[in-house]
Amino acid sequence: MIEVDFQAQVGPFQLAPRLRIEREIVVLFGPSGAGKSLTLEAIAGLLRPRAGRIALDGRVVFDATAGIDVPPHARHMGYLVQEPALFPHLSVADNIAYGLHHLPRAERRRRVEAFVRLLGLEWLERRRPAAISGGQRQRVALARALAREPKVLLLDEPLAALDASVRTALRSELRRFATDLGLSVLLVTHDLSEAYNLGDRIAVMDAGRVLQCDARAVVLSRPASVRVAELMSVRNVLAGRVVGQGPHGVEVATALGVVVAGNGAASIGERVHLAVRAERVILERRDRPPRRLENRLAVSIVSEAAHGATHTLYLRVDGVVTGRPHDLEVDIPSHPYDVMGVARERAWHVSLPAEAVHLIHDG
Amino acid sequence: MRTAARLRRRVTWVVLGLWLACAVLAVFIAAPLAGLIARGVTQGDILDALSRPFVQATVRLSILTTVLTVAAAVVFGTPVAYVLARHRFPGYAALDTLMDVPVVLPPVVGGLALLLAYGRAGWLGGPLHAAGLDVAFTTGAVVLAQMFVAVPFYIRAAQAGFESVDRRFEAVSATLGAAPWRTFRRITAPLALPSLAGGAVMCWARALGEFGATLMFAGSLPGRTQTLPLAIMQSFEASVDDAIAIAILLVFVAFVVLLTFKVLARVGGRAL
Repeated sequence: MIEVDFQAQVGPFQLAPRLRIEREIVVLFGPSGAGKSLTLEAIAGLLRPRAGRIALDGRVVFDATAGIDVPPHARHMGYLVQEPALFPHLSVADNIAYGLHHLPRAERRRRVEAFVRLLGLEWLERRRPAAISGGQRQRVALARALAREPKVLLLDEPLAALDASVRTALRSELRRFATDLGLSVLLVTHDLSEAYNLGDRIAVMDAGRVLQCDARAVVLSRPASVRVAELMSVRNVLAGRVVGQGPHGVEVATALGVVVAGNGAASIGERVHLAVRAERVILERRDRPPRRLENRLAVSIVSEAAHGATHTLYLRVDGVVTGRPHDLEVDIPSHPYDVMGVARERAWHVSLPAEAVHLIHDG
Repeated sequence: MRTAARLRRRVTWVVLGLWLACAVLAVFIAAPLAGLIARGVTQGDILDALSRPFVQATVRLSILTTVLTVAAAVVFGTPVAYVLARHRFPGYAALDTLMDVPVVLPPVVGGLALLLAYGRAGWLGGPLHAAGLDVAFTTGAVVLAQMFVAVPFYIRAAQAGFESVDRRFEAVSATLGAAPWRTFRRITAPLALPSLAGGAVMCWARALGEFGATLMFAGSLPGRTQTLPLAIMQSFEASVDDAIAIAILLVFVAFVVLLTFKVLARVGGRAL
């Protein structure tokens, strides 16, 4: 378990994260400069907070009021950064054994062998770091951190420097270790798909603070604030005012007309924002009667972008003038894009399913 | 095309200039040394000169004092170099500059200062003399004079070595449960080792050639304070051949030591 609630000052930057991590993987997600790496450094003891408290696995390692500040070498956690930082003068086996000096020789050898096998590093044990590949180096670094059998693992973009194929393989291995060894893992990334792929929960961080920490699906489709919605790439965010309560949800008057939000509650007259993920907007087929009737809008495609597996359509809603280049974005997979002949037609209908429209309270 | 041709011609002239500069300097350094060796080989007997008891005593004294100097440099200089490389504190610039002063200072000035401090009438030497301990004009004084002049060479190299060790390695070592001393012993020092060794060699070479400070502070007493450079100076008045023989010995040692060190450094660099 990791408990974090501290304030630190780094130059003009104010860092004040609050987190609580059980036996799970929590991904610290946010733009560069949000304070993600600094948060990890503080937990590892490499950065001293000004105030607050940090506890690892039930043991207080920092408490400003009690005057506790355990040095990094006594905190007992695994810490892995983007560069493997293997000791260049030690062999792979000696790197892995580095943190095991407190163990008797036989146990140390057994531990090294076990983690060499676990990470598939056989045949490389006698090699120097300079003589193995980037992916192998990161595996060695992971073995070195895991061999101490910490209950807490801090990972700072550990896969960012690797090739896509190696990254995918190591991601699933990471998940497996975390579950098998019962670890509390805090992983930093600014890659949304990696955050979603690895995290049981996602903590969205911005300007030194944790804005929201929830199950990954919740953070993705029910952001707690407009800023979280932006950071989680929710590309349709509409400002509006609550005008009523209907059978499908809260009715909100927006620049695009009245939109029903099935996700959230609010009182009449309240100013709110609505968030709809681009992949949840439904582009209606022309050859069938519409199945969803709420939030149905006639639109024109003003531009589009192809991403290979998906297409993004930029839409203007017919009959309203918002003064923006486009009013909505829709992501659709390439197959329906081709089958429906989207490339040929510009005029379509879309619907925003009420349950996909998330209501964000202002202020 | 004509531009390219002109450019190529100009490059050729530049390259020629480079080689010419190298040749001039190489001749400038090699010619006197070659002359020295030629003179020693053709006139007089080097081995005979080197086997004289006073020369052998001088060689032993030079070895003893320079080894002690290097040992002291490593023991006292390593912490200083580490502090200068890893910490910033009030007075940093002053300490940093102080360590460079002996390099710039004429050694004679250092010898004079040491004499004024540790001489029998000196502000430190006085009380020591009263306690029955005389420093000036002893073998110990030779070591102190050599240290004054040579230790900065070790400190500079060691400091650069520590600075070149990526601090991430030290941070990672700490997160792997290594206390600072273990991190220094297992990570920082081994990674800085080529620089530490290089600094020790430079320090040793500088101590071996030390003349001015030693003469001023320790004198030139055969068997007690007369090191090889001082012996050359004294022999020069009595027998030029002896002076030349000792000089050739020093040239030989300097060449062998530097060559060995460079080869070792290359092998060590490859092993990393």
